[in-house]
Amino acid sequence: MLHHLAVMKGIYKSGERKEIVDALLRQTNLWDARKKALSTYSGGMKQRFGIAQALLANPKLIIVDEPTAGLDPAERNRFLNLLSSLARDVIVILSTHIVEDVRELCPRMAIISNGQLVLEGAPEETLERLRGGIWSTLVHSEEEFAAVSSQFKVVSTKLLGGAHEIRIHSDSAPGDGFRPVEPALEDVYFLTLNSKQVN
Amino acid sequence: MFLEFLFFEIKLRLKSISTYCFFGLWVLIAFLFEGFSNYTMPPGKMLVDGPFVPQLFDFQLSFFGSIVMAAIFGTAILRDFQRDTYQMIFTKPISKFAYLGGRWAGSLLITLFIFTGTPIGEILGTFTPWVARTRLAPLDFGMLSYHYAVIIAPQVFYLGSIFFLVAALTRRIIVVYLQGVALFAGYLVGLVTVLNARSLNPYWPSVFDPVGMVMLRSIARYWTVSEQNTLWMPFRGMFLWNRVVWCSVGVAALLATYIFFPMSAEALTGRSSKKQKKTEQESTAPPAPRFHNLLPKVVTQFSFGTGLQQFLSLSRIYFQNVFKEIPFWALTGVMAVVALADGHGAVDVGESRVWPVTYLMLQAVEGLATLLPYVVATMYAGELIWRERDTQFEQIHDALPFRGWIDTLSKFSALAAAELFLLTVVLICGLVSQIMAGYFHFELIQYCEELYLIIFSEVMIFALLAFFVQTIVSNKFIGHGIVIGVFLLGVILDTGGLTDRLYMYGDAVPYTYSDMNGYGHFVQPLLWSTLYWLAWAVFLGVLASLLARRGSETGLRTRLRAARQALPAYAVLLALPLLAAIGSGAWYYYNTHVLNPFLTDKDNRDLQADYEKLYKKYERAPIPKITAVDTAVNIYPENRSFDATGTYTAVNESGNPIQDIYVTNGRKSIKEITFDRPATVTLSDSRHGFWIYHLSTPLAPRQSIQIHFQCGYQNPGFRNSNEQAEFAYNGTFFDRDYFPQLGYDPGRELDNPVRRREEKLGRQEELPDRGDPYGMNTDLFGPDSDFVTYHSVVSTSPVQIAISPGDLKREWQANGRRYFEYSMGSTKIQDFFSYLSGNYAIKRDQWHNVKLVIYYLPSHTYDLDKMMGAAKAGLDYYTTNYGPYQFDQFRIIEFPRYRTFAQSFPNTVPYSEAIGFIGRLEHPDDIDFTWFVTAHELAHQWWGHQLVGGYEKGSNMMSESLAEYSALRVMQHKYGDAEMRRFLKHELDGYLRGRASEVRHEPPLVLVQREPYVWYQKGSMAFYALSDAIGEDKLNAALKEFLGQWKLNGPPYPDTRGLVEALRRQTPPDLQYMITDMFETITLYDNKAVSAKVEPTADHKYKVTLIVDARKMRANGEGAETQIPIHDLIEVGVFKGKKDSEQPLHTEKVWITQPRTKFTFIVDQPPTRAAIDPYSKLIDRDPEDNWADVE
Repeated sequence: MLHHLAVMKGIYKSGERKEIVDALLRQTNLWDARKKALSTYSGGMKQRFGIAQALLANPKLIIVDEPTAGLDPAERNRFLNLLSSLARDVIVILSTHIVEDVRELCPRMAIISNGQLVLEGAPEETLERLRGGIWSTLVHSEEEFAAVSSQFKVVSTKLLGGAHEIRIHSDSAPGDGFRPVEPALEDVYFLTLNSKQVN
Repeated sequence: MFLEFLFFEIKLRLKSISTYCFFGLWVLIAFLFEGFSNYTMPPGKMLVDGPFVPQLFDFQLSFFGSIVMAAIFGTAILRDFQRDTYQMIFTKPISKFAYLGGRWAGSLLITLFIFTGTPIGEILGTFTPWVARTRLAPLDFGMLSYHYAVIIAPQVFYLGSIFFLVAALTRRIIVVYLQGVALFAGYLVGLVTVLNARSLNPYWPSVFDPVGMVMLRSIARYWTVSEQNTLWMPFRGMFLWNRVVWCSVGVAALLATYIFFPMSAEALTGRSSKKQKKTEQESTAPPAPRFHNLLPKVVTQFSFGTGLQQFLSLSRIYFQNVFKEIPFWALTGVMAVVALADGHGAVDVGESRVWPVTYLMLQAVEGLATLLPYVVATMYAGELIWRERDTQFEQIHDALPFRGWIDTLSKFSALAAAELFLLTVVLICGLVSQIMAGYFHFELIQYCEELYLIIFSEVMIFALLAFFVQTIVSNKFIGHGIVIGVFLLGVILDTGGLTDRLYMYGDAVPYTYSDMNGYGHFVQPLLWSTLYWLAWAVFLGVLASLLARRGSETGLRTRLRAARQALPAYAVLLALPLLAAIGSGAWYYYNTHVLNPFLTDKDNRDLQADYEKLYKKYERAPIPKITAVDTAVNIYPENRSFDATGTYTAVNESGNPIQDIYVTNGRKSIKEITFDRPATVTLSDSRHGFWIYHLSTPLAPRQSIQIHFQCGYQNPGFRNSNEQAEFAYNGTFFDRDYFPQLGYDPGRELDNPVRRREEKLGRQEELPDRGDPYGMNTDLFGPDSDFVTYHSVVSTSPVQIAISPGDLKREWQANGRRYFEYSMGSTKIQDFFSYLSGNYAIKRDQWHNVKLVIYYLPSHTYDLDKMMGAAKAGLDYYTTNYGPYQFDQFRIIEFPRYRTFAQSFPNTVPYSEAIGFIGRLEHPDDIDFTWFVTAHELAHQWWGHQLVGGYEKGSNMMSESLAEYSALRVMQHKYGDAEMRRFLKHELDGYLRGRASEVRHEPPLVLVQREPYVWYQKGSMAFYALSDAIGEDKLNAALKEFLGQWKLNGPPYPDTRGLVEALRRQTPPDLQYMITDMFETITLYDNKAVSAKVEPTADHKYKVTLIVDARKMRANGEGAETQIPIHDLIEVGVFKGKKDSEQPLHTEKVWITQPRTKFTFIVDQPPTRAAIDPYSKLIDRDPEDNWADVE
């Protein structure tokens, strides 16, 4: 099938075609499955096949949209691995809602909301900017939560062993019960989105 | 729960456009069929909306509707699997009954709704103004509902349930369809087998007939028209059993579905996860980190070469898509089985057995098997067009950098390859069938021409349409529906008389292959009509490519917009086929409309009707009678034309002076007429072919006149249809029709009552009564002559031989042509002559001083000995029993199978290659039709050429019935009584079926006018039965006496009164009733062997007790019967041996006077069968039940 797609992509010489198809099959770990029918591929294999076919004609730019959705952790790792190795040679634009992927993979990122570019930069830089500004506490009731959210800018809430962990953004120490935490890329994401909504 | 599923199913179907499409299609087809019944039904007395026609139609549509049933019942169960929702549903606490039952019941109700389209269309059809009012009965809702209830509803129930079962167990829609196709094909094969079987009791096939056609045929086979118009199909006997059997099958299918359907997600996924395990063998170990991998650099290039590579690569993929599919191979298998079965049957033409020459083999293997290439074209056009979308590959595929046409062309190529493959399979099946039949004269070129040039083009024209349709529509199944609709519509309109092939999509000119002439003159029209439609098809194909779905915006409107932008790039691709279509269309038009008059059947009927309206008044005006014919005819086979000059010598026998000479020019072949005295033209109507010449001095009584004429016929270009079959490159055969006829020709009148009403003609004038002074003095075969002398010089191309009646006096070459002079000398003949020319081989033989000659195609040597044998046997029998033969030679000449008859001209019998020359006697029970036809035509030299009747009712019987009887006797002396039994049954079947489709009224034999089934089949049976009863010698003595009295004599001419008298003189008083019954009235028997029991006697013999029923009915001309008392001599007998090959142990003729009679016989050997009228000598409505097994 890849051979066929290579032909379709205008790779004229059969030698070149063979070379690149073989290389891509190895690179995408599909070599062993190369004789199998596409319809029997698993989700991850299909994703990698997609990449392989996209890479056929030495593209200069690859856009991947939610590539790891629905993949199991091993598949996901393998896929990210592949993407990062590609990124040496070509521009890869990864579009995703899974913030971890960005953290793991991307030297540069941008957040787009409702068609507006709201943030751009290297993940490390943006994290640096928040360093020392994220605090966390545990709340146990509605009242407690209301109190915290009225005082501070809440970045996110999530469950932690049955209690609600609240992360807030504050340049100065918010006081008792709060402990400083390392900012995560997720915080950047939520903060950026929230601040945009406020505006 | 059940109800929820039911309502869900119904709601879903009611929301789907396809439901209404199918419904509409059904209404439309039924509507067209009835609304245009003038075209779709043979003209006759059968009511368009009477019980018989809707009933037949309901069966047919239910059968064709199996595809709809498959679509509805199949998808009802497959939906959850196609959408992968079955896991969701099956994990819910749903009862199997509710799920399956609801889906099934919903499908059933919807299908029943769709099939109401048939009666609705039938009702609507009767309101169209095109239906002849006389063929409409008042709307009968009861009858329509009855048919719906007993025909359609059970059919939907059991066929649908079977589809449901198959879908539930295989869970693949393609298998469901395939099963439909297999059913269809299997059924058609079975149908052909049953129809071809000679002596199969139709009871069991009828009971097990899932579609009902065989059943209908056997129930209503001999229904007369009045019965067809009044009787509802009785819900008893085989019909009832059929319904019981098949509804039980339906119930069984439902039970099986319920029991075997695996209603659990585990059971269903368990199997597929096994498959996944095999492929998903990847390690779950954490991947090794990967760093910079350098991909090899490649160069991309987009040139024509790339396009070609892309095309080949895509074609290969699509090719695999088709060929790797099991269904495709299953279809191929079905087709091969059908082709082989049909190929096996190629040796049976009607009742006779023949050598499977290639055209017959092709006809056989193509017949049904080539329906499947159309099915494949329909199905795979859909599969291929929707391939990417079905496999969800379109996002990758559509983004590839190829030009749009490459994809469409690749898909098309893959389909073309599949079709070529199928046709090759057909070819191989044909060859295999020929080998199996022991025929080794392989004509591969003919196979290739037929399959790869003609059929392949037609299928591709259709496939491109399917591509186009599938591109336009939003759903594959709607596409299928439309394509099938177009196909059916084409068939309907074609039978409907819309015959101009410039408008009928993909309709190539019909052609006939002839061994004598190859594709002959059909090559040109076939070529151009095919080219024309191929060009249109390519145009549609390019459009399909232009409009092909690509990307995510697939609305038709978006695609149209995009297509408009791409139009300039496609301009050439679109313009070329368009130009080709216009060019070939123009050439086709020029040939069919300009060079040749374009006349529809209706136009021709109009002309016929006008001729009658305008000139019937001259019918009995006195005309001079031709006494001598002298012609010089030049045949140009290479141009399919002839020209001729000639002279008639005619005498005024009317007793009064004749001043006006009327000339009919039926074939528009006459160029000029002059007389031996001055004459002026007072009427010249070339459109209807009638002239009146006014002689300046009247022709006095007994005075003779010379009429000189020039005539000829050209065949310029080609025609849309109705090529003149008389003229062929090899095998020209035309007759007196192309020469001037004096007076009005009643033979040109329309004889079908429906057609006459259409033309506003009254009832056709019947033949004059026996004893009518005009009729008695007029030759039955033509009013413008009595007996004549004949002389002719015929020329043809130097490689051909030209033949005409008469003794060959001289043969020479001049002007690069070959000349033959024929003369009858002083022997008088009927004014009935023919001209033939062909590349013939010649076989000669001698019977006493009569020269026997057969002119035949060199490869057709199979039947020559039989023809010679029959001629000698016939001459022996006829000269002994009737009187001397009047000529010194007897010739048989083969002509192409465009026409399928043999015809007896004086000492000359043109004999179609279709009914003789390839006959074969393989099994002991094969009927030797060549022997029979040859004997029949020879007998006409006595009956028709020596004995000529007057232009009166019944006279036709004196030539045809007597020739048929004579031939029967020659057969009987050659083959014995066993073969006679088969042959008489064949004759009886022909008679009963003939009267079942009578369009006027059936006359008794002695008053027959224009009813071939009376003068052939009934006539032969009547004479044979009478001769059997009174003795062959007595009957022949009567004939000899009658012939001796009237031989070559007239006017006045004899009629059947004299013949009946002669017969009565030889018949003893107690058998006179036979003449009354068989000759003077319409009398039928309903004899039946009720039971036969055997018990051994003390002296080791066998005592058989036979109980028989005998009824005798008298019918009127409409077919209504009344029972009359019986007092008849009928044969009964006891036989040994198996059914259909019984040997008589004891037969005797007994007087039967009671409705039920008991006989006992003592026989020496163990009996197996017993019968009343075992040899089918009597006219029995149901000859099958005359036999009973001895118990």
